[in-house]
Amino acid sequence: MSLGMNNQNNLIVSVSPHLHKDESITKIMWMVVISLLPAGLVGVFIFGMNALWVVLLGIISAVITEGFLQLLTKRKITILDGSAILTGLLLAYNLPPNVPFWLPIIGSFFSIAIGKQVFGGLGQNIFNPALAGRVFLMASWPRYMTTFTKPLNYDAVTSATPLALIKEGRVLENLSYWDLFLGKRGGCIGEVCILALIVGALFLLYKGYISWHIPITYIATVGLFTYIFGTKGLLSGDWLFHILTGGLILGAFFMATDYVTSPLTRKGQIIFGIGCGLLTAIIRLWGGYPEGVSYAILMMNAATPIIDRYTKNRIYGTQ
Amino acid sequence: MSIAQFLTIFISAVFIYNVILSRFLGLCSFVAISKETRPALAMSLAVMFVTTMSSIITWFIYRFLLIPFNITYLRTISFILVIATFVQFVEMVIKKISPPLYRFFGIYLPLITVNCAVFGVAVLNIDMFFINGEAIRASFYYSVFQGLCVGLGYTLAMLLMSGIRERLDFCNVPKAVKDFPLAFIIASIMSLSFLGFNGFRF
Amino acid sequence: MKKFVKEFLRGIIRENPTFVLVLGLCPTLAVSVSLINGIGMGIAATFVLLGSNIIISLIRNVVPDRIRIPCYIVVIATFVTITEMTMKAYSPALNRALGIYVPLIVVNCIVLGRAEAYASKQTVVNSLFDGLGMGVGFTLALILISGIREFLGAGKLLGHTVIKGFEPMFVLGMPSGALLIIGLLLGFFNVLKNRKA
Repeated sequence: MSLGMNNQNNLIVSVSPHLHKDESITKIMWMVVISLLPAGLVGVFIFGMNALWVVLLGIISAVITEGFLQLLTKRKITILDGSAILTGLLLAYNLPPNVPFWLPIIGSFFSIAIGKQVFGGLGQNIFNPALAGRVFLMASWPRYMTTFTKPLNYDAVTSATPLALIKEGRVLENLSYWDLFLGKRGGCIGEVCILALIVGALFLLYKGYISWHIPITYIATVGLFTYIFGTKGLLSGDWLFHILTGGLILGAFFMATDYVTSPLTRKGQIIFGIGCGLLTAIIRLWGGYPEGVSYAILMMNAATPIIDRYTKNRIYGTQ
Repeated sequence: MSIAQFLTIFISAVFIYNVILSRFLGLCSFVAISKETRPALAMSLAVMFVTTMSSIITWFIYRFLLIPFNITYLRTISFILVIATFVQFVEMVIKKISPPLYRFFGIYLPLITVNCAVFGVAVLNIDMFFINGEAIRASFYYSVFQGLCVGLGYTLAMLLMSGIRERLDFCNVPKAVKDFPLAFIIASIMSLSFLGFNGFRF
Repeated sequence: MKKFVKEFLRGIIRENPTFVLVLGLCPTLAVSVSLINGIGMGIAATFVLLGSNIIISLIRNVVPDRIRIPCYIVVIATFVTITEMTMKAYSPALNRALGIYVPLIVVNCIVLGRAEAYASKQTVVNSLFDGLGMGVGFTLALILISGIREFLGAGKLLGHTVIKGFEPMFVLGMPSGALLIIGLLLGFFNVLKNRKA
């Protein structure tokens, strides 16, 4: 029920992101950006200069959109707090490397304008802005969003992602777990190199900017589910493949953990992680799309207010 | 009659082909009544009751009236009349039990009559559980269960939306998009996320 | 006469059924994919609104309150059937394009909504202008929404390609896109309204 709090009294009871860490939001945002750089650099190395353009355009478009909208609505300009840059970066990481130049521009515009500013800006959005942009692009220009290129082949030869091949029922040849770990596969710019992503994630975990609850439960749920419901009968699934492929590692450590769009309490976070995991696995195994990470996280973002409502502690700050 | 079929109906109706977020039926009340959780749940309960009961009644009408007399083309009008009568009944009950709730719902209570979700599930039951003018085995049980599950799916969407909108009450939302515009945009993003269920195959 | 004009205009702007009253969304989302469909549906719905508002207002004192909703439905269904038959006879192509949504005007919240909220309580002439205003308001809303959706979502207007080489945004052909457009339009109208205030 609405408590009738209004902001005219300067009583802003916002639920995030103030309760997690006492360091400034700006520092956290920039730390996450830095932790994501290895994955992007490797992505550019694997897919070529076009990938670099996609990333840069995504970031620039996000920053310009936010600045422009804040100017228009006469709000404080916060483009240097790192959050727009992070959104642009994450959106670009979720795109195939050879998309037309206007795709990341429009995608970032949507992410910031509709995914974030329309809700009132930082801390108030319900959905992860980068993922909102991604599914918007996917629904708008599906052909461009599902055309991937071969790794380490700078002539942009098209190739399908491992998950797409599995969805078609084709057998994967010449693809070892090591290849998947290093990123020698078709896929989105920032999702392929698991090694680089783990390095960044470990940094964030060590510094306490993210906690293990969501990513570990998310990944474990996907692994367990795909193991149980393997394609060759029960308890035969290739769980390691599913963990190392698609956007799972990128999503679990860097997008599902977003303070603003995930639950406050530990219990809520575990529910969140399990929910994401179940949805991702179900879509991967039986859905029409080969990958379900973006959809799963967005759906759980929608459930977060309800999860918070029913798992909230009476005293903030205690777990 | 199999457990698997019931499970399929449940998962399809509540999640995969969610009546509001995937089939886009019942949107008027979804956008209008989802501002707070209590009324949203009350409306969901009313809708669920109507979908379940009208699934029962329309099934009987189709099976024992329309098919034998070969007047299946009267499906639309007869179903709507059944639903309309039923909603009138529900309205009288709510008016008696809780006048403030009745006043709060306002026009949206009689509008359950034309809630596309209710009419939609009645038609869906016929399309799914009658083949060539004959009821398949356990058709009645599947139809009633589907009516119930569609109501549950409606409740899920309402619950999610009201949770979101209640939380946004605490936020500094731009004045121009407060309430309805934002509700539509939220519904848009929610339905985009439900696109993930497209093309489902067990 | 001035009072009637005011009633008429109310349905177009101040109480626009789509943008203010938030009624009739299901057909709006489904039909507004192309401009011609939007116009066709708007005209059909206006006719039904006009007819049902008039008749229901005429019988408003005779209908018992306890069974009023089924009675209204019968009236509305009659006009929808007339509309459907007329459309089949005089513009079969449009009828095919609108498909199931013509008979579904019966469940268009706007029609029952106006019957319940207005025609059942007001005089015939008032109801006539209300029905007309609401119908025109609905049609204008449909034109606006379907114009945008067809232009950006399919790169065409009235079936003709407008800009060559334009990559259409498929999402606008889907209900998700429609919801987005309506939300943005609503926000835009609010900005205009706030500026005037």
